[in-house]
Amino acid sequence: MVGIEKENCFVFGVFMFIWSFALISGITMVWLLAWAIKRGEFRDLRQGARMIFDEDEPIGVVTDRFPGAPR
Amino acid sequence: MSRTFILAFGIFLTIASSITGLVIIPNWQFQALKPVVKLDGTRYPEVYFGDQARGREIYIDQGCIYCHTQQVRMKGYGADIRRGWGTRRSVPRDYLMDRPHQLGTQRMGPDLASIGARQPSVDWHAIHLYNPQLTSPGSIMPRFEYFFREVRSGEAAPADAIKVPQQSNGVTHIVPTDRGRALIAYLKRLNQSFPLPEANQ
Amino acid sequence: MIAQPIPPVVIPEVEARIEVDGSSRPVIVLYWGTSLIWLTIASIAGLISSIKLHSPEFLGGMEWLTFGRIRAVHWDTAIYGFGGLAASGTLLWLQARLCQVRLPYRNLLLVGGVVFNIGLVLGTAGVLMGQSTGVETLEFPLWAMPLLVVPYVFIVIANFTMYFKKVTKHTYVSQWYLMAVTVWFPILVLSAEACTNLGAVDGVAQAIANWWYGHNVVGLFATPTGIAAAYYLIPKVIGKPIHSYHLSLLGFWSNAIFYNWAGTHHLTGGPLPAWTITLGVVGSLMMFIPVITIGINHHMTMLGSFHLLKTSPTLRFAVMGSMIYTLSSFQGSLEALRSHQEVTHFTHYTIGHVHFGMYGFFAPLMFAMMYYGMPRLMDQEWSSARLIRIHFWCTVVGMLIYVTAMCYAGIRQGLMMNDPSIPFLNIVRFTIPYLALRTLGGLILLTGTIAFLINFVRIITPHKYTWKTPTMLDTERDWKKLVELEKQSENGGTK
Repeated sequence: MVGIEKENCFVFGVFMFIWSFALISGITMVWLLAWAIKRGEFRDLRQGARMIFDEDEPIGVVTDRFPGAPR
Repeated sequence: MSRTFILAFGIFLTIASSITGLVIIPNWQFQALKPVVKLDGTRYPEVYFGDQARGREIYIDQGCIYCHTQQVRMKGYGADIRRGWGTRRSVPRDYLMDRPHQLGTQRMGPDLASIGARQPSVDWHAIHLYNPQLTSPGSIMPRFEYFFREVRSGEAAPADAIKVPQQSNGVTHIVPTDRGRALIAYLKRLNQSFPLPEANQ
Repeated sequence: MIAQPIPPVVIPEVEARIEVDGSSRPVIVLYWGTSLIWLTIASIAGLISSIKLHSPEFLGGMEWLTFGRIRAVHWDTAIYGFGGLAASGTLLWLQARLCQVRLPYRNLLLVGGVVFNIGLVLGTAGVLMGQSTGVETLEFPLWAMPLLVVPYVFIVIANFTMYFKKVTKHTYVSQWYLMAVTVWFPILVLSAEACTNLGAVDGVAQAIANWWYGHNVVGLFATPTGIAAAYYLIPKVIGKPIHSYHLSLLGFWSNAIFYNWAGTHHLTGGPLPAWTITLGVVGSLMMFIPVITIGINHHMTMLGSFHLLKTSPTLRFAVMGSMIYTLSSFQGSLEALRSHQEVTHFTHYTIGHVHFGMYGFFAPLMFAMMYYGMPRLMDQEWSSARLIRIHFWCTVVGMLIYVTAMCYAGIRQGLMMNDPSIPFLNIVRFTIPYLALRTLGGLILLTGTIAFLINFVRIITPHKYTWKTPTMLDTERDWKKLVELEKQSENGGTK
């Protein structure tokens, strides 16, 4: 029976660990988000989405088709 | 530059947290587990030695794990116990000696957690491994005839030969090779019927 | 002296693209080409194991081809041979293009590719000879693993070097995923090997480590590479920026945080502490967040451009992959539920789901990457549109037959197994027609792969099977010539 109580203690410890871990990581996440917004990480995001296009392959031009197919 | 490190560090944290939570903490929890000493002085689970250990290696190299599990689910979750695959659910202590583990995730064949208790006969195992159709017609298990020496009609059967119930190609008896004997010894040892207290919680 | 022609203006991005594609050609062709050979080997091994399940006497009596060995070879060659090489090729090419830098350490990467292939051959031979470690997904004998890990270190180094040297100001979504893969995969492999085959933990904890790895090798290696490919190809081919860049951020981080934890659902009902499985189930369900955000991004970008599916092979495969990513992820999340697992765990349903994800999502995206990349790398067109069509339809039809047969059979099989009044052998007999159907599906998939392989061999043979001008690339201006002219004039200027 002593063994089982020990195990319960252990499980309690595990849960405490998980809860505290969740709390700490949650707070860190929120803080990180606030920090990232403040630093301007989210500004100008659409520019990132456009970086795969250029003057030669601009937005609006289809760049792939079956071989031999007319343009 | 600094941004790359933050990105890489965040990515690293995600994986580090999961291996800590899923592997290191449970392993730490299992550290306290020890084999139990039975009334007759033997221990459960016992280490694998001799034929059993060699048989386990053969079980692994033949890839038995891809069709057979070695885990019985608890009562009320699936029908493992009602199918007679075990008398109780499997618990971590049953696997103390298992390295590598062979829990398995496929049941194209039945569970083998307690096959030693369900089929205690060496002859049954030998015939089943030699040709599964002889004991389980319609089985999709491959034949493991290379674990046996075939004795044809007319040849003298040695003392340890096992009689084949239906003759085919003139084979009347089979004699397990060393590897065959080891595999059967391992299968016969698979037995989770010892009532561990934590299995009834 | 005749007056020098006025040097035309060359767009720096185009120049960079030509440089990048030219520099990365040998490496990427080696990685992609060998990945397709491994896909063929994996498909044949899969087909043999599939036939063995409904006709156990097929190729019987040969120990090295016994089901348990050829089945291990099938998955290992599929995930490391095809998956590892195709994803690494994709990673290197995509990163080089997005950073607009020449591929660094090309000789090292070439040697790495060869060593990786030798490692795969030796590992496969080891498993066939009975040296499997017995840990699922890590069956290759330990002595073969350094040959797989060391080349990957080269890839990691090359990837970080490119990122540090990048010319572009912004970072594209695909790049986050590619960076993540190179951080995750080495850690994954090394810690999983340490926990299982090197024996840092044993018993049930080892089983958790095994499935933590088994799930993550798909989730943190194949999936991010596939998503990275989709994020690049869909917008690039249809010429439309991604629907919402904000959502892609959310999708990336939620994917990174939750996918890690999902592995233990492979052991539901097993002898492990209930909280570990609960964590796995929660992780799997939380995957709805990244899957939905990524899905919205891919499908909303596609909205209004579906007519292009008719004309673009890349887009066909990419859209098939991204659609099945959504579907198979939904299936996977629901599958993790305990009530669902009570029935489908241990059945063919799981196998159906794995193939839905790997052959319905990951493989098509790798194919799409190759269909888009190879003409640009080789400077010539695919030789046959018909072979591309055969490949596509074989992939779709074969995969659908396979997955439907397996999932349906799996559910029925699970329900029957939970009814103890049905003898086990009756259940086995019930599944046999579906197992035969799976062989049919596998055969169709193999046909498609061979069609692709023929086309691939032709495209790496210079101008033998195809016309010289790449039709796909014939823009108004011949950029290559322009770049050369500019270089000439520059050289002339400095002399």
